Amino acid sequence: MSNLAQNVAKLARIDLPDAKAEAVQENLEKVLNYVQQLEAVELPDDIEPFFGAIESVNAIRVDELQPSYPREEILSNAPDSDGQFYKVPSVFDE
Amino acid sequence: MNQTLETTPAQRDAVTDADVTLIVGLEVHVQLDTQSKLFCNCSTAYGADANTQTCPVCTGMPGTLPVINERALELAIKTGLALNCKIANYTKWDRKNYFYPDLPKGYQISQFDKPICGEGHLTISDAKAAFETRDIQIERAHLEEDAGKSIHDETGAKKPSKIDLNRTGTPLLEIVTKPDLRSAEEAKAFLTELKLILTYIDVSDCNMQEGSLRCDGNVNLHINVDGQKIATPIVEVKNLNSFRAAERAIAYEAARQLRVWKKDGLGIADAPKQTRGWDDANQKTTKSREKEDAADYRYFPDPDLIAVETTDQEINAIAATIEYLPAKLRTELMEDYSLEAYDTEVIVSQGIGVVKYYKTVADFLTKSASGLKSPGKTASNWVAQEVLRYLNEQNCEIGDYPVSGGQLGELLGRIAKGDFDQTRGKDVLAQMLENGANLEAAVEKLGIKTVDAGEVEALCQQIIEENQGVIEQIKGGKVQAVGSLIGKAKKLNPNINPNLVKETILKQIGI
Repeated sequence: MSNLAQNVAKLARIDLPDAKAEAVQENLEKVLNYVQQLEAVELPDDIEPFFGAIESVNAIRVDELQPSYPREEILSNAPDSDGQFYKVPSVFDE
Repeated sequence: MNQTLETTPAQRDAVTDADVTLIVGLEVHVQLDTQSKLFCNCSTAYGADANTQTCPVCTGMPGTLPVINERALELAIKTGLALNCKIANYTKWDRKNYFYPDLPKGYQISQFDKPICGEGHLTISDAKAAFETRDIQIERAHLEEDAGKSIHDETGAKKPSKIDLNRTGTPLLEIVTKPDLRSAEEAKAFLTELKLILTYIDVSDCNMQEGSLRCDGNVNLHINVDGQKIATPIVEVKNLNSFRAAERAIAYEAARQLRVWKKDGLGIADAPKQTRGWDDANQKTTKSREKEDAADYRYFPDPDLIAVETTDQEINAIAATIEYLPAKLRTELMEDYSLEAYDTEVIVSQGIGVVKYYKTVADFLTKSASGLKSPGKTASNWVAQEVLRYLNEQNCEIGDYPVSGGQLGELLGRIAKGDFDQTRGKDVLAQMLENGANLEAAVEKLGIKTVDAGEVEALCQQIIEENQGVIEQIKGGKVQAVGSLIGKAKKLNPNINPNLVKETILKQIGI
């Protein structure tokens, strides 16, 4: 797991300086080792995986339209826009 | 399969097309025809002004919660049933994590290990091989939300990209086949049949220009080298925006992979999966500008959504909404209407409207005891030639065709009875299309009157007297010369039945 911290940082698009990487790596391993204790629990073969803490199912809604948000309001959340589109740095800039 | 077999250039040079098997699997994204998005109530309508169909849910604002669209579930199940898939009684939602500017949440809500539709199959038939059928296995079909649309600066000046999130959250069903397709033509046949089924069950408008049907292909080759099978690296071909593009891209990719392998000899274990895009303008695939790292989507169950359970009863209720499937209609037309496979395909490929129209015409002819040997075939000739040509020329749907199936049936019945011939019948149809669909009015307008038997006899007698030269030729064995006499008869009376003229003349001169 030596590249764990750098790999996670890369996937999360976070710049992780080497000086900090070691400490992050250590902490991450501690967390993972802690959770890994669960693997020691013996389970019957036929048990279904558990996907969430809520037991209820079927929270669904009818297919009907409601007004969307005004564009101006939605775009105001973005760092940059031209009033019609969001503007983001060129994707192929890297 | 030997994935690491070393080959020599001489061995590779000796490989011929007969040693190569093309392996293709398809991933097809179908936009389901809902009013609102998969997890919020914004509209899915195409073509609105940028960013006018979004809300805090589909733009991924913190604190918002997605709620599943019931209709999207129904349409997904309906599609799965039409593709013979096992429908899951329990299905759940997972996050597929990746960063891209048109994916505002930083993840796409999709389905990982519990897709709504499991294994199934779709039957294709090969028009070039006597319509021989083959089942293409389907791996799964799962629901997911669409991403937004990026508009990149193509000038090379690295200007900002523009993002429109209207499409974000639109419900997609991703249909994944097993690597079962063996040629570019088969891939095209699969896509054509899939689109036809989706149209018949009315779950998507399948408009490829608007992105309602999108296709990617996974392509590689299995090459036989001295009895050992070698697989070339898998390439995912994206941007297959039409069926023709899909067919050409796969054919191109097969040839390219063989060429590259003959040069470098690299197998599936030697190179990572590559993504290439189809460049329609230049008719070739090019390496995508994506990063080379193997994708790591870190799927995990979406904690914002709970599972969906569907009972068999609910699934059966959805199955009951499937009225027509092309495969079943083909069988019906061939068995009940005695049509050949080719004629059947012409009708069925036009959609349920044309099939219903055809059946009305054929049923009318059958019931009217027209004496036709094959009323089904007569009806199919007229629908395929006259009706479809009109729809094509006028660029309209069968619902807009001015002459009803019953009226066309009536017209064909009159032709069968010998009231007028085919050519005259086409004039009548043209008249009905132009001036309202009333058959009698059209017949009257063209001045068509039924010519009684006495009139035919008299007219033939006159022609025989005036054309003794031709009669001598006929008597001398040149029976086809009677054709010129039929022409003369039609000039004298355009309503006369040419077959009857021929019969009568030959009878009168004793042949």
